[in-house]
Amino acid sequence: MAETNWEICVQTRAVGEAAIIYASDYLNKLTGERIERECKRQLDSGRRAVIINFRDTELVNSIGVSILLELIDAAEQNTAQLIFSDVNANTANLFETLGLTRLVSLATDEAEALSWVSAPVSEARP
Amino acid sequence: MIQPRILAEISADKFFGRDAELREIERHASSVGHSRGLALMATADGGASELLRQAYDRLFLRRGDPVPIYFAFKQSDASAAGTARRYFQTVLQQYIAYRRVNSAFSRATLTFNDLLELALPADYELITNLLEAFHREQSSETDFINFCFALPERLRAAGRVVFPLIDCTAIGPSREGLGVGQRVAEQLVNYDGPFVVAGLRRQLNELIHGTDNGWDAGAIIRLERLREPAAAQLLESLGDQYQIDSNQVTRDLIVQQLDASPLFLTEFMRAAHRNRTRLNSFLTCQQLYVDELLGGSFKRHFDRMLDLVVPNRQTSRTLLRILYESAMSETRKASLWTWKKRLGLASPEFERVIDALHVYELVNSSAAFIEVNSEIYVWMDYLRAHYRVEVAGEARARVVGTTLLETLERAPQTMTRKYRRDAALGLRDLMPQFNCQRVPASLLNYRSFAAAYKGEDNDTIESGLDAETELIQLPQVIQTAACSSYSSEVSCERERCIVAQAFEAAEYTAANEVVWLAAEIDAKLEADRELTEEWCNRLTMLARECGFERFCIWLIAPEGFSESAGELLKEREAFGSSRQQVKLLSARLQSELRPAEIQADEYEMVIPMGGDTEMIAANTVEKIARRINFQPEAINQIKTALVEACINAAEHSLSPERKIYQRFVVSDDKLTVTVASRGVLPAQITGPQARDEGVKENGGKGRRGWGLKLIRTLMDEVEFERVDDGTRLRMTKYVRRSA
Repeated sequence: MAETNWEICVQTRAVGEAAIIYASDYLNKLTGERIERECKRQLDSGRRAVIINFRDTELVNSIGVSILLELIDAAEQNTAQLIFSDVNANTANLFETLGLTRLVSLATDEAEALSWVSAPVSEARP
Repeated sequence: MIQPRILAEISADKFFGRDAELREIERHASSVGHSRGLALMATADGGASELLRQAYDRLFLRRGDPVPIYFAFKQSDASAAGTARRYFQTVLQQYIAYRRVNSAFSRATLTFNDLLELALPADYELITNLLEAFHREQSSETDFINFCFALPERLRAAGRVVFPLIDCTAIGPSREGLGVGQRVAEQLVNYDGPFVVAGLRRQLNELIHGTDNGWDAGAIIRLERLREPAAAQLLESLGDQYQIDSNQVTRDLIVQQLDASPLFLTEFMRAAHRNRTRLNSFLTCQQLYVDELLGGSFKRHFDRMLDLVVPNRQTSRTLLRILYESAMSETRKASLWTWKKRLGLASPEFERVIDALHVYELVNSSAAFIEVNSEIYVWMDYLRAHYRVEVAGEARARVVGTTLLETLERAPQTMTRKYRRDAALGLRDLMPQFNCQRVPASLLNYRSFAAAYKGEDNDTIESGLDAETELIQLPQVIQTAACSSYSSEVSCERERCIVAQAFEAAEYTAANEVVWLAAEIDAKLEADRELTEEWCNRLTMLARECGFERFCIWLIAPEGFSESAGELLKEREAFGSSRQQVKLLSARLQSELRPAEIQADEYEMVIPMGGDTEMIAANTVEKIARRINFQPEAINQIKTALVEACINAAEHSLSPERKIYQRFVVSDDKLTVTVASRGVLPAQITGPQARDEGVKENGGKGRRGWGLKLIRTLMDEVEFERVDDGTRLRMTKYVRRSA
């Protein structure tokens, strides 16, 4: 069932054990913190996997990246899976440059990400 | 059309080497409401008076506001009241001359009644009132003096703006003269219009700041001696005017020997004209020179100065002896105490004498020492010759003969020095251009330069240098001086051995202080190890002697350095260049100074900090980058880099105005983006974290402050430019054409 958390303007969708959070067109401090809050909310509510969908994201700045790293830590602490999907080539390059790709799995799209949710983490990472 | 002369003594087309100064004065005349006072600081023989007169003539003929007024203090001004009266009449007369568009009135001898009759009907009432007040105020001398000196302000109050050009160069060292000058300066504080005060450079500050009501000069012109080409032009022109036979060689010698002084050059050519001397050989030139020194205009010039310094004849002889003996001593320096004891003067009189010598630049005095100024040939020759005649009592004929011999023997050396100076690379001009630029490393390393480019043509070398990836950041040089100014132990020529105080990076901190010691060394072939070592040792010794904690040696040899010399330079962590390398370096620095990208498209934008405004900048740069066909990936990299630069500026600068200034310069193959903001300099720029670690290096911890690393990764060239306040980051991305 899809839901939109309008209060913090972050679109979220729940699919089984996973929550899918949609990042906005520009991931900076403000929008990053919104995603962070939503992600933690989802983890606190017992979700075992969080997918962040970057389909609308054109630009990510370094503060946005640092927040994503906080999320990776938070997911690890909750023994939950964190997967990024629909990351465009430029953003993927940026993640590569800053070393994020060593810490998180990038799925081509939501379907692929969801297919990884039940798989063990070691298999999920390409 | 040649400008007619009004007050000028030299025809405008024969007034050489002062165009820039004249333009500056003209500009200042039009600066009503902006900086009011312009201080013109000159040497005694620098031609400041003629410069003001030329400015007067130009402004008179230019018409329009304000009305130029030229007033010169005279040594014969006996009293403050007399000077005030002359000032009042000069201002009024020149005002009326200007209004009547009749320049003859500016220099005519006119009475107050004449002035009243000549006044335009529109000025008649004003002039009548001023003249009545002039007579009325004479009952009190103080009021009268203040009234006269305040005339520009009174005219201003009546809606007539004048532009006083006050010439204080002849005030002289007397306290009385200085006092009157100070009273004029005080009145100008209240004057709400532009004005110029010219004076001897070592006296002018006291003149304008010496009273409670001193004014701050809004602008300053430092009138140095003429540059050699202008001095040569002046000499040639005087030769034509007086029909004096001369040649290029003798003219060059005269310019050198007379230190390019417009006063001495003019007097010398006048003397040649009077005596019908042909200046076509060193012998005739030196004969005339010695005549002028011992009995002509040069003698009168220095006699007059020394008379003003010490009117008493006996003391004057003692002074001559002390000056001579100090000049002949090894250091040319003596303590004030020694001078005082030998002169036998009471403290106030002694201080006045020393001040006067200092003002006329015959000596350089500091709190403890006096040093005879040995840089002026004519002064030193005068001192030697007159000591021998007047103090040592030598026969005049003998002094004339030996002085002539000495000057003739010296002439070839003088010319050699000139030729060597002309042939020098001009490190004193080059090094102040160092301003944290990044230049190809091979320009400072002869061996690698020779390996890459020896025998190549200029175009190949230029493109090779352009493609070099190993760059060296030059320091920011803040001051240069000849090595000989720091130490008399290091024997070298002034132009060829330079001490450059600098900062190594964009931040003014003690840790960044560095001194560059640069020397041009003589070698016909590649300089060998022995010579290179000798110079390295010499400069290292200088650095130790001067207490330079961090220094860097840069040697320049015409043909570069041998392999073993190159190894030595490497061992000593010194730089070594050939003349060719220095010329290439100089050309690169010059091209940066020129508005080089003037043909490129240029955009500027200012955004407020915060509120995601960096996205506005990113969208703008995207549109600009598309115009030069950057690939989409490169466009995104530029956008990300710009966003990071904006975030850095907003986060770290503490900018008081919260603005980010951006400049986008587009050329065929690259886009250069400059992002600047006011405020503090973030430590990450110059501190140890300048090359910040990324996630890869620190395992994902310490997750902020990657902006700069990211920018360096995304752009091809990234450089912080030095600015006084805040930061200015320049980033360049090159277009990579797809195959």
